[in-house]
Amino acid sequence: MTAHAASTARALDTRPARPPAMPANVLTIALRELRDAVRSRWFLLYTLAFAALGLGVSYVSALGSGGAGLSGFGRTTAGLVNLVLLVVPLMALTAGAGSIASDRERGILAYLLAQPVSRFEVLLGKYFGLAGALLACLCLGVGACALVLALKGEATRPAAMLWLVGLAFGLSLGMLSLGMLVSVLARRASVAVGTAIFLWLALVFVSDLGLMAGALAFRLRIETLFALATANPLQVFKFWSLHSADATLDVLGPAGLYAVDTFGDHVVWLFTSVLAAWAVVPLAIAAVIFSRRAPV
Amino acid sequence: MNARMLQSRCAVFALVLGAAISGAVAQEHEVPAPLAARPATPRPLGAIGRALAAAPDGAVVEIGPGVYHEHLRITRPVTLVGVGMPVIDGGGSGDIVEIAAPEVTLRGFVIRNTGIDLDKENAAVRVLASRATIEDCVLEDILFGIDLRDAPDSVVRSNRIGGKRLDVARRGDGLRLWRADRTLVEGNTIHDGRDAILWYSKGVVVRGNVSHNCRYGLHLMYSDEVTIEGNRLERNSVGVYLMYSAGVELRRNLLVNNRGPSGYGIGLKETDRFVITDNVLSGNRVGVYIDGSPFTNKMPGMFRRNTLACNDIGVTFLPSARNNEFVDNNFIDNIEQVSVAGRGNLSANRFWVGERGNYWSDYTGYDQNRDGIGDFVHESQTLFENMMDREPKLRLFLFSPAQQAVEFVGRAVPSVRPEPKFVDEVPLMRPAEVGLNVRPERGALVRLGGVGAALLLVGGLVLGLARTPRDGQPANGGVA
Amino acid sequence: MIRIDSVTKRFGRATAVDNVSLDIPAGDSVALWGVNGAGKTTLIRCVLGLYRFSGRIEVGGHDVGRRGKRARALIGYVPQELGFHDELGVAEAVRYFALLRGLRVRSAESVLDDVGLAGHGGKRVRELSGGMKQRLALAIAMLGNPPVLVLDEVTASLDACGRGEFVGLLSRLSGAGRTILFASHRIEEVTTLARRVVVLEAGRIGAQTDSETFAESLGLHSMLHLTIRESTRRLALEHLCASGFAARMNGVGLLVPVAREQKAAPFRVLAEARIAIDDFELIAADAAGAPAHTQEAQP
Repeated sequence: MTAHAASTARALDTRPARPPAMPANVLTIALRELRDAVRSRWFLLYTLAFAALGLGVSYVSALGSGGAGLSGFGRTTAGLVNLVLLVVPLMALTAGAGSIASDRERGILAYLLAQPVSRFEVLLGKYFGLAGALLACLCLGVGACALVLALKGEATRPAAMLWLVGLAFGLSLGMLSLGMLVSVLARRASVAVGTAIFLWLALVFVSDLGLMAGALAFRLRIETLFALATANPLQVFKFWSLHSADATLDVLGPAGLYAVDTFGDHVVWLFTSVLAAWAVVPLAIAAVIFSRRAPV
Repeated sequence: MNARMLQSRCAVFALVLGAAISGAVAQEHEVPAPLAARPATPRPLGAIGRALAAAPDGAVVEIGPGVYHEHLRITRPVTLVGVGMPVIDGGGSGDIVEIAAPEVTLRGFVIRNTGIDLDKENAAVRVLASRATIEDCVLEDILFGIDLRDAPDSVVRSNRIGGKRLDVARRGDGLRLWRADRTLVEGNTIHDGRDAILWYSKGVVVRGNVSHNCRYGLHLMYSDEVTIEGNRLERNSVGVYLMYSAGVELRRNLLVNNRGPSGYGIGLKETDRFVITDNVLSGNRVGVYIDGSPFTNKMPGMFRRNTLACNDIGVTFLPSARNNEFVDNNFIDNIEQVSVAGRGNLSANRFWVGERGNYWSDYTGYDQNRDGIGDFVHESQTLFENMMDREPKLRLFLFSPAQQAVEFVGRAVPSVRPEPKFVDEVPLMRPAEVGLNVRPERGALVRLGGVGAALLLVGGLVLGLARTPRDGQPANGGVA
Repeated sequence: MIRIDSVTKRFGRATAVDNVSLDIPAGDSVALWGVNGAGKTTLIRCVLGLYRFSGRIEVGGHDVGRRGKRARALIGYVPQELGFHDELGVAEAVRYFALLRGLRVRSAESVLDDVGLAGHGGKRVRELSGGMKQRLALAIAMLGNPPVLVLDEVTASLDACGRGEFVGLLSRLSGAGRTILFASHRIEEVTTLARRVVVLEAGRIGAQTDSETFAESLGLHSMLHLTIRESTRRLALEHLCASGFAARMNGVGLLVPVAREQKAAPFRVLAEARIAIDDFELIAADAAGAPAHTQEAQP
């Protein structure tokens, strides 16, 4: 107990000349964020809700099909797609919105940024950490559904389940990115989460209902309608899910046929770029704002 | 193949290799007057041609393995048998085999590489006489496959017909019957063609064939009293398209994943007296498409014990469709079970007769007295379907929570609730017993289970990453 | 080691730090002294690169604005109050911040042992008392033995006993040769830790002295905080004012400025008036006589 500083130094490896490179710090922060996320109440709640609802959908549709064992883009997949559209954006948006804002509110952020880390590392680390938590949530939920369907003798294509997870993850990356932008902008965590919920409502209901009204009232042209709908990552997720199930979008009526005729197989690239843009652009804006804003 | 070879009466056995007979003189082929409709340019006879020329009527001519570059014209009733699947190669021009005499049998050849002239309808096998039998042949890289013209009482059996990989607009028909009454089409596989089509052919039986990646898997034009049974038609634009025909029976066919701009499992256009039973229609854009059928009032359109599952739309009615009867069918998980193109309802069609209705996977009622029949009527009346029928563009918003929201409003607000499209007063609680069942293969279920387990594992691994590392006791006490 | 060059930080119209220049050579320890709002914390946050500011700050030759990560790698920082995820385990926290510094902790326990937190590694941060949290923060700040220590009112949230203990720990651990910059308004911290005192007034540097001179100058005026029951508080105020003290009400008691040799005089006045005093505290005040932290509640 006489030479504390010395013993502190002894408990440590020798001090490196420079702080860790970016990937190392991002990984450290991501793992930290992941740990915090999976221990948090929201993660447990969302995972349980997602798995429970998914199991409900699977179970009910397995009952309804009477073991006909026919696969297709049936009610099971449709139900799961619907579920993802409802739950995943909400989950990702609120998780993203809560991340920076609540840390700032609790003083955690200032303390973290006083360490030898850059702000970009913090933002990116949090993003990856939360993305990991969301991925775990999706895997657990959909995996449980797939098991139940297999046990009930429902021949949903295994690939459809993998696509569902992959695409839902793509969607959640976009929503997470948007949520983090909100989080960086908002002064308070409650405001951030409120804004996130508002955005969720806008993306899930308001925009679609608006477009429906537009299609009915203004007789929007098919290409306009498709373009507007494609701007919404939720719709893109849905389109792509359908496309992955059938390699065709004709189920979506004239607008789907328009997409098939216009883009053919390149429609996948269109979808990729829309989802990627949603995942990258808000995060990039968030990074710029975050680097300029005081963390307290 | 061997057994058949030994059984054959073997009148002439000509094991021919094209180059083997070197001294043969090319003979001008004489075209019989009645069959001179297609004055083909006279070609020098090939090895098979010479063997045929040498054979008497009723002979069995056997051809050994090899590749024969020639175009045949069979003008006498003979049985031409390929031993060891000899190949007749058309060299990318014209027709390849023309059968101009009745009672010709063609068996066991690979016939390939026709021309691609749609106007001249280049065919692998063209039959211009009655009672022909074409069996066990493989037709590859052909424009038209087997073209029966005025060839009644023929048999087309166990052939494999694969079209050229062309644009649909430039393809020919894999199989065409033109006034070929009472022909049997059985056990063939047709793929990558335009249609398998019956024109003006009565009493044809089409049984146990497979068709995929064609335009119309089977197409009836003005062909009456046709039986279509046990076929498997998948990934075509339309599975079976019945047009202007009458007296058609469709039984135990499997119509799967027929999609595209038409995308019907079964299409019915102004067809009369049809009975459609025990078919399975799954994954089609539209399971059954009904336009102006039944055409007369002689008999209702009968739909019994069919399974319509996982189609985008189970059944589409054009407003002209009336007097159809659906009983004991299973409507399972179609995205839209029944639709009416344009506006209108289906009051002229029946979804229940007497005490029997259909099974609807979206039926929400229950069965308190346990008689297998729902205690409430099944009414199809969803606001979104109604809107979609009016404005098809709205299909873009299918499967979205917004659709659910619209449906919710439709249920909650009576003033916007649409008229029911149809009513089934005695809906079945359980799927009806049907004659054709498709069970998921065990492998698929195991794979699905595997995927589920794998996903759980991945989720678990991510959670494992997040596990708190233990603050283990320092092995060396951290002391120097 | 720390070079602060004409740093100005504005929040909207308010100027929190106004053209401050300060050079702290390696091994020096400097206390920033001033009332709340004088700009101490703001300046420290500028040094940590938490705020954008005009001017230039270098730590160990690294520009804080452009190469903040390198600069902060040289700094161990203890905040006024530790901001941690409450659910974080104590040992886990040590590991995490060590990793951010590129250090691998062989034994978090031994690091915790140095600050007297041995045996608490398995606890969650929220289970720690205020004093323990600050000691944890100190343990983390000392990870990797950084050449610079930045302390921002580290004892503000501690009680009197905890304060003494913590300052003692600090002085022991910080050791010789370390550059220290800290904000404080407690004279005992300043005398224990600082060699130099920089007085901040409304964002500007007012005076710079060595800490002994400063302490003496402070002693001229002190502030006495007396805790008195509400029923007699007003009466006490009247008595003190009648006796010539510039006393005023403050929270649950009275604030009485006292001269250096008369710190006990108010007790005598109140004893004569038979007014009970529950508690008292002597608060350091700057030379101008303004109380350094009038908001602080009594212990």
